[in-house]
Order: sequence, then C-alpha cells, then structure tokens
Amino acid sequence: MQWLTVFNKELLESWRNFKWIWVPLVFILLAITDPLTTYYLPQILEATGGLPEGATFEMPEPPPTEVFMMSVSQLNLIGVLIIALISMGTISGERKSGVAELILVKPIAYHSYVTAKWAAYTLLIWVSTFIALLASWYYVNLLFGEVSAGSFLRTVFFYGLWMTFILTISIFMNTFSKTAGLVLFFTIALVIALNLLSSVFAHVVEWSPALISSHLRNALISGELPSALWGSAGTAVLFSIILLAAAAYTLKHKEIS
Amino acid sequence: MFMMQNAIQLLQDNLAIIAPLIVIQIILMVAALISLIRTEETNGPKWVWALVIVIFNTLGPIAYFIFGRRLDA
Repeated sequence: MQWLTVFNKELLESWRNFKWIWVPLVFILLAITDPLTTYYLPQILEATGGLPEGATFEMPEPPPTEVFMMSVSQLNLIGVLIIALISMGTISGERKSGVAELILVKPIAYHSYVTAKWAAYTLLIWVSTFIALLASWYYVNLLFGEVSAGSFLRTVFFYGLWMTFILTISIFMNTFSKTAGLVLFFTIALVIALNLLSSVFAHVVEWSPALISSHLRNALISGELPSALWGSAGTAVLFSIILLAAAAYTLKHKEIS
Repeated sequence: MFMMQNAIQLLQDNLAIIAPLIVIQIILMVAALISLIRTEETNGPKWVWALVIVIFNTLGPIAYFIFGRRLDA
C-alpha cells in the first residue's frame, strides 16, 4: 500500500501548509463576490454617487442561472490560476530539493508516486469547488431566485472535471521541468491556448474540455443536458488519464537528479 | 458626510448577508498570521509579510501562502 502512504503524506503536507484552509476559503470568496456585487450594484452606485443628479436607469434583474454562471466564470479565471500556483512545485520542487529521490529509492512505483499526488490535489480541488459553488448557490437562491438542486450538482460535477483536467496538465508539466516558474508558465500557456482555440473553432471541436463551462451555461438555461457536454466531459477524463500516464513515463525516463 | 452615512446605513441593513464575507477574510488573515509565526524562514523579512497580510485583505494572505513560504522547506 505504498500508494496510500504517498497519498497520506501529501494530504498531511497540504494540511500543514494550510492549503486545506486557504484554498476553499479563497474559492468561496471568488464564487460569492459576483452574486453580491450584482445584487448591490444599484445601492453601490447610489452610495458612491457615481450618477449625475436626476439620472435614473433601471437595472435589469439578471436571471438566477445567469448569476450562478458568473460565479463559475469567476472561478474559471482566478481559480485556474490558483490551481496552477498551488501545484506548480509539487513534483518539480521535490525533484529539485532531492525529496523525490529519497521517496523513489524506496519500492514505490513512479506511477503510484504521480497518481497519489494527483489524487491528493484532486480531492482538495473537488472539495473547494463544491463548497464554493454551494456558497454561491445559497446566495443566488437567497437574493435572486431559485436555481434547482439538480442544476447545482450538475455544475459541480462537470466543472470539477474541468478543474481536474487543469490540475492534470500541471502535474504533467511538473515532470518536465524542475523550475516551478516554468511549470506555471507552461500550464497557463496551454490552458489559454486551449481556451482560445476552443472558442475560435467551437463548432469543429465541440468536445473540447475547454468548452465545458460554455456547454454548462446552455445546460443551465435550457434545463437539459446537451450531448456535447458529455462529450467534453469524456474528452477531459480521457486526456487526464493519458496525461497522467505520460507524466509517470517522463518521470521514469528522465534522470531524477 | 452624507455619503458616509448612506454607506454605513447600507452595511447595517445587510449585515446578515455581508457578514460571511468579512468572517472569511478574517479567518484567512488569522490563518496566514499563524502560519507566518510558525515558519522559521520566509522569502524576505517576516515583518514585511506581517504588514502585507494585515494591510491588503484577501490578496495579502493569498500572496503570502503562495510566495511567502519556501518551496523546499
């Protein structure tokens, strides 16, 4: 059960350096900022006096699902950056400092080292995403109107897959470079490129994982699951598995030191 | 002055809704400070990090958690 050992060590480490506290909290902040500012926008404008005397304009009340999607896109921007930042040193740092050598001289397979680390971070990200969207869901229901529990759970599930995919990219990049900064750069560059290409060629690559959030928006508005969403989710899972295998492979075939 | 009163009124009316936001920011700050006290070495002087954490809400603690600690420690 060396897999569990590495997994537990990783969880303990994330706990000791407070990741289990600050990552969920920051995700919650990101997710509830947009519903709150949208709700208070008229009052904020009034209180800060940004409007000329006598000017009135009616703020259209956005539909609840739209506000809920705002939280998701907020997570999409900064949440992605945070995932890349917290995972940028996880393997590369251990290789640099020699901890990886210490671990890997023991009878621990490269693939269990990689997947155990991946699983520990995945758990953290899923828990954070769930709590964050739960908080946002609560506020949207309170301030704007009902979003069904089914829509909420669906969003968590599919969005979690996209977050997991980003984490997997970062883990893969970790085995390529020992410099945490480079890992971060490659991860972000790849995610941005994916997003750009997917939105430009949205009709050609309907199943691109980067389109998960835009498919989700359609699903929330129409209330039914488009098949493209399942397709994107499937691609995300498939690519994650391939990337993990590739990560274990590169790690094995690169001199560790 | 009038604007100030308006803002305070707004806060008082909506305390139940805004309170969680403030609580989360405080927890973040305290967690960062505890972590700062416990670590032996940081990137750069400790007192600067303490100031950053206290002055810049939300962003300060995040910056500390990501950049303040040494990766190899």
